[in-house]
Amino acid sequence: MTLHAHSGVLGRLARRPGLGISAAIGLLLAVGACSRAPSSSAADDGGATNGARLEHRTALLQRELELTGEKDFYLLLDPAAPDLTLMLRGAELRRFQVLGLQVGYPRVSWFSRRDTRAWQGVIWSNGELDPPRLIDRIVVTAVEAAKGGDAGKADDAAEPPAIPPTPEELYRVPSRFRVRFSDGLSVEIRPREGDANTGRFTRLRAWWSAKWGDVAAAMRSSNRDAVRLRIILNPKDADSLYRSLPPAVRLLVLSGSPPPR
Amino acid sequence: MEPSPSLPSGNGTAGPDARTDKPSPVPAAEAPGPALDLSPSVTPRPAVPAAGPPRRLGPIPLDRRTTLVVCAIAGLLLALMWAGTGYRYEPYLEAPLARASDGDRTETGDRKQALARLRGRERQLAARLKTTAPRGVYVVIDQTLNRIYLKKDDVIMLEAVCSAGSGMVLKEGSGKKRQWVFETPRGSFEVLSRSQNPVWAKPDWAFVEEGQPIPKNPSDRLEYGSLGEYALNFGNGYMIHGTLYERLLGRAVSHGCIRVGRDDLRKIWASASIGTHIYIY
Repeated sequence: MTLHAHSGVLGRLARRPGLGISAAIGLLLAVGACSRAPSSSAADDGGATNGARLEHRTALLQRELELTGEKDFYLLLDPAAPDLTLMLRGAELRRFQVLGLQVGYPRVSWFSRRDTRAWQGVIWSNGELDPPRLIDRIVVTAVEAAKGGDAGKADDAAEPPAIPPTPEELYRVPSRFRVRFSDGLSVEIRPREGDANTGRFTRLRAWWSAKWGDVAAAMRSSNRDAVRLRIILNPKDADSLYRSLPPAVRLLVLSGSPPPR
Repeated sequence: MEPSPSLPSGNGTAGPDARTDKPSPVPAAEAPGPALDLSPSVTPRPAVPAAGPPRRLGPIPLDRRTTLVVCAIAGLLLALMWAGTGYRYEPYLEAPLARASDGDRTETGDRKQALARLRGRERQLAARLKTTAPRGVYVVIDQTLNRIYLKKDDVIMLEAVCSAGSGMVLKEGSGKKRQWVFETPRGSFEVLSRSQNPVWAKPDWAFVEEGQPIPKNPSDRLEYGSLGEYALNFGNGYMIHGTLYERLLGRAVSHGCIRVGRDDLRKIWASASIGTHIYIY
């Protein structure tokens, strides 16, 4: 019955070409209408994504503004660039090129203990170096002032003061170090191929102690080191960052195509 | 009762020949029977009790081999757990964006309005952020590495060595027992005044350090030439100035001021004016 009906329609179309053309146009219009519906929903999604992106960028700008208004030094980590910039009140003090960026989460016996808190686009505060940069201060107790100003002559006779060391001589930089922030984020700075010049035994010893440190940190119930960012820098940049990083530094990780600076 | 031939004669107590380190299980005096031989060489060892059936934990026999296997498996498990404890690093990924708060609920017109509002807000914040950045020339000093940078709109115009505060602590041996720490302060400053051929009015610590009496006449405190050709004062007695000891540039030797070499100081002097920002980290 259906076959007969179809053959009847086709036969009629074959006999009347004008009817066939109008049927084809109708079919195309129907297909066009059907395909329009999903595209409009895609446009909706695009609009929502744009909105989300804009909201995110606005929030980031707000946080950056918040940082510029305070007297603390801060680091901006821009994974898109990628670079790490030391800043103060909106002024760029030093920019370090980031060669590699990884995120580490603790796990215990292969079970992940991932912290669900957002850490991107959030201000982390009180960043301190670990191991700390120790300042070896020279303490001098002045001799009592001589009457008549003869002390200067006595000083001249004494040995000339030793030339103080350069910062490179003064501060030995560890092969890897961390900047620990309160509330659980830590940034591990590793120079690229930092271990390349050391011997096998030294590397093994470093790995062994790092592994035990990681085990202890992962098993700790507090949220210290809940998220670790591993940043790989040029060896010179890593050294410079360790020697120059001011105390109580803050950090903002710019994420999600941050606004141009 | 005749004494046993193997036993020393007499009262049945052990003589010097029969003395052993280990006490005899049965005292000789109470030894039953005459033919008891207590010499160490022939003393029969106490019979080892016949080994019974091995202890079992359910169907598993608890013999030595099983214990070893169990220990090995436990050690392996512990090692496996240890290997799986620590930190797992993965490449950095952007966090997924949260949906816009206006979401799908709003009509197209409202959404457009919301987007326009957000764009306006973004532009406004970006403009505010731009105003916080220093305009024109500014000075950046790395006081640990003893480097000074003259920058203009993030472009480095000059990089030079300098000398920042040594961090030394000076204690007054007598009198008021005061103490000074020779550190360069960190933070954001501005050039407050500029002076050519500056004269240094030596503070108390300069005399204490040299072991000289502190003068009562202010004119006795003045020292000419020691600050170089120029000085940029940025507050609390701290200055960027020249030095007589250029060979020490690059080392932290100053009392808190920033010492710069003559040629670099000339360039800084030419670019910096009152109000120029100085950032020290």
